[in-house]
Amino acid sequence: MELTTTWYLVLGAIIFAIGASGLMIRRNPLVMFMCVELMLNAVNLTFVAFGRELDDLGGQVSVFFVLVVAAAEVVIGLAIIVAIMRHRSGATADDLSVLRG
Amino acid sequence: MSAAAVLADIDWHVEQQVFFYLIATTQVVAAWRVVTTKNIVHAALYLVVVLAGVAAQFILLGAEFIASTQVLVYIGAVIVLFLFGIMLTQARIGAENDLDQPNRLPAVLTAGLLAILTVSTVIRTFEDVELPDNSRTTTASVSDSIFSDYIIAFEAVSVLLLAALIGAIVVARKD
Amino acid sequence: MFFAQVAPDSIVTPDIAWTALVPHLVLAGGAILMLMVWSLAGRWLPRWLPSMVTAAVGLGAAIGSIHLWRRVTDADRGPFSAVADSVGIDGFSVFLTVVISLTVVFAALLADGYLRRERLDGPEYHVLLLLSAAGGVTMATANDLIVLFLGLEILSLAVYVLAGYHNRRAQSQEAAIKYFVLGAFSSAFLLYGIALTYGATGSTNLVDINAYLRSTVLVDDGLLLAGFALLLVGLGFKVSAVPFHTWTPDVYQGSPTPVVAFMASGVKAAGFAALLRVFVVTFGTYADDWKPILYALAVATLLVGAILAVVQNDVKRMLAYSSISHAGFMLIGVHAASADGTASVLYYLAVYSVLVIGSFAVVGVVSGTGDGATTVGDFAGLGARRPWLAFAFTVFLLAQAGVPLTTGFFAKFYAITAAVDGRSWALAIVAMLSAVIAAYLYLRIMIAMWLEGSDDDAPIRVPVGTVVVLGVAAAFTIGFGIFPEPIVDLARDATPALVNSP
Repeated sequence: MELTTTWYLVLGAIIFAIGASGLMIRRNPLVMFMCVELMLNAVNLTFVAFGRELDDLGGQVSVFFVLVVAAAEVVIGLAIIVAIMRHRSGATADDLSVLRG
Repeated sequence: MSAAAVLADIDWHVEQQVFFYLIATTQVVAAWRVVTTKNIVHAALYLVVVLAGVAAQFILLGAEFIASTQVLVYIGAVIVLFLFGIMLTQARIGAENDLDQPNRLPAVLTAGLLAILTVSTVIRTFEDVELPDNSRTTTASVSDSIFSDYIIAFEAVSVLLLAALIGAIVVARKD
Repeated sequence: MFFAQVAPDSIVTPDIAWTALVPHLVLAGGAILMLMVWSLAGRWLPRWLPSMVTAAVGLGAAIGSIHLWRRVTDADRGPFSAVADSVGIDGFSVFLTVVISLTVVFAALLADGYLRRERLDGPEYHVLLLLSAAGGVTMATANDLIVLFLGLEILSLAVYVLAGYHNRRAQSQEAAIKYFVLGAFSSAFLLYGIALTYGATGSTNLVDINAYLRSTVLVDDGLLLAGFALLLVGLGFKVSAVPFHTWTPDVYQGSPTPVVAFMASGVKAAGFAALLRVFVVTFGTYADDWKPILYALAVATLLVGAILAVVQNDVKRMLAYSSISHAGFMLIGVHAASADGTASVLYYLAVYSVLVIGSFAVVGVVSGTGDGATTVGDFAGLGARRPWLAFAFTVFLLAQAGVPLTTGFFAKFYAITAAVDGRSWALAIVAMLSAVIAAYLYLRIMIAMWLEGSDDDAPIRVPVGTVVVLGVAAAFTIGFGIFPEPIVDLARDATPALVNSP
């Protein structure tokens, strides 16, 4: 069996879905955020696989930008998470329930 | 015979296949563990495995520059930040039982549906299109592309980093 | 040799059309300059200065767009793309650039009194606001999906921080973390959608994608359709369409009120800019495939927003749900996928931005120190205590309800007309039903203000900046409600176009 583009894309799709499920299942903000990273990496894999398939540099360049965005998101996200959990140690997403309808 | 010629003579397809399946399996298992483990530090370490796997896949796909950036940015910076985050929030290092929502079924169903849809679409569209044997992209060509066709995106990224920098300082400031 | 020699040939850098980038440069440059000036000389500068400077920068960006508007509406020159076709300047993007720039002016003026009252003042809020607006403008003018994504991220990252800006208020921090986690989640979906679209069409450039879809009949369009779905999920979160709306009430309730005013106006405008540009303009040839999804989203958004707004007791949450139902009206215009539909969304955005900023301006002063008094009961007797404030709020609420002689009436009218022209009768009826249900909500606040008494006699201080915002917003709402033509004509002329440089 030859290795095909499909396999890379399937791998990306599976990791993306695992990440999405994790984000919905987990309630520790840090772990939820790790799941977002899983999803972004799945997208990166998809971009590079498509780039190879299309023989186009756009895929790789896009990944470069996504990497920067992911790093910036981590910086902001962890700052917010640390700021909130410093006050309430061990808080989970469900304990954050001052806001309710 | 030069080294380049030796390398060119080897049929890389078999090796590429073997490595792909090995790494892919590891990645899926590790990703699964990120989502299921009860220990938050383990989750971060499993994430390292997935991210390193992605870097390895990039090399198999001939995207060396992106692969090394992936290692530097993700494993070098992002994961370290995560570990700092775990440390600063005084999360328990051992197992934790309240890491999950009580009701997992809707989430698993939604994600399952997502996986089935995307995987089936991808398989149907690309069935057995082989990886084209195009020449390896060089770092030079990637950088040429970033600084010509994607120059606005590059500038936007610099504004993004500035916003992130200011934002992080604002969040971290004391009263 | 093992290493291939790379010839050090110079790369072809694209021409930078500086004139096309004036709004972006003014906003981002203003932010950077402000940061530098305040870090060097901040202690000698008066406390009211940052918000004035920000308002001036926002105004400058809007004025800097005028020459672009002249150029794109000139029959001889028309729309164009700049800097390696990453930035598309057309009537549509210039219109939204002006809307976003003006929401910055309002949000800055509102912030002045608020931040000083809460003792949070300083240039950081304003710098983030300007950077966020620069991201929004980048999004509105993006001619490439990657640039669009980056604009969205600049916009969102700054707003995540602004949502948590009130660092002594637990609700504010909680709003930030909720907004952040769900925002990052939706960004991942959007990005996956971009990746699949790239895979299906071979480009991230909107013009190339459009040209490809026009010229090629895809044997199997599954990949493209999956891309559509994921893009819709990502953008649906940003414009808070049901079922992706769950963050909206919590975030609106917890965030500082001037930030909410910006979220409901500027951020929403940028989100709809992306939705229209990507779906109506770029994927126009596939309208039959995405229209049913948008139809369902519009119906759900209209009904859920209006019904859940009625059962709330907190005015900020009420306005959050009402903003969801307003998003439903705008989705009608997107669903129409026509020139009139697009014009109706643009008109709605311009008008609604003013209304929602005015409404949150009132909420921001009534909520008092600590930003906590926002239940309906806190508005009781406002008519007796501060008649002008209550009058202004009444104008905004009536306009949101769609009462004639206000701008809100025409906004709803054009949205429903777009649905009728597109022969979506059921959608038009649902829209009217939603308007009727939501009217009850606005009535409830008005009854509390004018008919109920209150024993609360704490003075309500209305800062100068807020007075200006309220005056301008009320004058706009009534003035253009009686003479709607100027804004309607502008929205009609603001046609989107996809062009690459020759």
